[in-house]
Amino acid sequence: MDTTTLTERYLDAAMRTVPEAQRADLAAELRTSIEDQIEARTDAGEDPAAAERAVLEHLGDPDKLAASYTDRPLYLIGPRYFLLWWRLLKLLLWIVTPIVAFAVALGQTLAGAPVGEIVSTTWASTVGAFLLVSFWTTLVFAVIERSTATSKEDLTTPWTPDRLPEPQAYRVRLSDAVSAVVLAAITIGVIVWDQAFGLVRLGGEWHSFLHPSLWPWWSGGAVVLMVASVAVAVGAYLRHRWTYRRAAVKAILNLAIAVPVLWLMAQSRLLNSEPWLAGIPDDGAQVAQIVTILVAFGIVGVCIGDAIDAFVKARRSHRAAPPVSRSA
Amino acid sequence: MVEPSVIETHVQELRRGTVVLACLRLLVRPGYGYGLLEELQARGFETDANTLYPLLRRLEKQGHLSSEWNTDESRPRKFYRTTAAGERLAAALTHEFGAIAEAITALPQET
Repeated sequence: MDTTTLTERYLDAAMRTVPEAQRADLAAELRTSIEDQIEARTDAGEDPAAAERAVLEHLGDPDKLAASYTDRPLYLIGPRYFLLWWRLLKLLLWIVTPIVAFAVALGQTLAGAPVGEIVSTTWASTVGAFLLVSFWTTLVFAVIERSTATSKEDLTTPWTPDRLPEPQAYRVRLSDAVSAVVLAAITIGVIVWDQAFGLVRLGGEWHSFLHPSLWPWWSGGAVVLMVASVAVAVGAYLRHRWTYRRAAVKAILNLAIAVPVLWLMAQSRLLNSEPWLAGIPDDGAQVAQIVTILVAFGIVGVCIGDAIDAFVKARRSHRAAPPVSRSA
Repeated sequence: MVEPSVIETHVQELRRGTVVLACLRLLVRPGYGYGLLEELQARGFETDANTLYPLLRRLEKQGHLSSEWNTDESRPRKFYRTTAAGERLAAALTHEFGAIAEAITALPQET
């Protein structure tokens, strides 16, 4: 076996990733070191080939050795930027993914795609957005990690106690409860007025905005659900805290509103198409359909936002207060 | 009972900084990589070639060591020597090590 070959190959492999300027110097030093170590082993009576193999094996992966010579990080994102990366990634995912999902679903529905296609396209786009955001954020941080490795500059601002989350944020505010009651009251009033007298005036007549067949059971059901939802918000205020159970109840109530709204939209039974057909002779049907979709998505968006808001508040309450006072 | 591998990890952690100190103190007299490795081992500083060589480079880059190629012998060798800055660092580290040893001795002991 040729004794130079293995060492030669090791040196080649190790120098491949070392900057040109340091290469000759490093290679010469490493070669001498390897030869010294082999010599020490053969002097002790070891077979030269086995000695060479043992020395190289002990030196380990040449890429790893070269990285430690040149202070190159062997990780994607190190402890210096990990927290910044993680916080930013979570924030971006929370913002971008829902927006993409909502926008794609809205666009597909407006384009009149069948339900199965809307669901599958929305799912695919959401997963795609998730992966893209994760990939690009991580790539940017990996580049920052490498470009600032040698210089002393630090992109992270030092942490100060001022950056602690606000503790009073968990206190359920009266204004939240009041606005929930007022908004629900207005909405209920509008629904009842609309179905009783009509809200849209076209062609000299009052028409109802919502589909006439929704009265009384569908509209009544929506009113009951809204009252229940407000009761949860008021209950949270009276008990001074949001709990996960309250948030879950609120989410279920919102779901009970959102799902029928989507179903009614699909059945073309959400809005009254008559005033549109009467008022806009040419494109009335199309306009009615688009308005229906926008209204449905608006309602669903509010429901989702409200449910998320409840969970955020529950989490704040949960973090801020000790679990001792967690009586429902 | 503590696993031997766990003890090993902690011992390595504890020894990490001491190799720097030993190198700076030993290289007051110029030395080359492998010779230094053997001397460190003989003096009870367990070190691997793949930790020592990058360490010497780093200390040189920081200005604590200077280097010179010696081509008098059959094998050209890079000799390192502690600089004035390196000696100041060694003094500071030695002082610190003494303080740590004292502090550890003063810790409550299991009897």
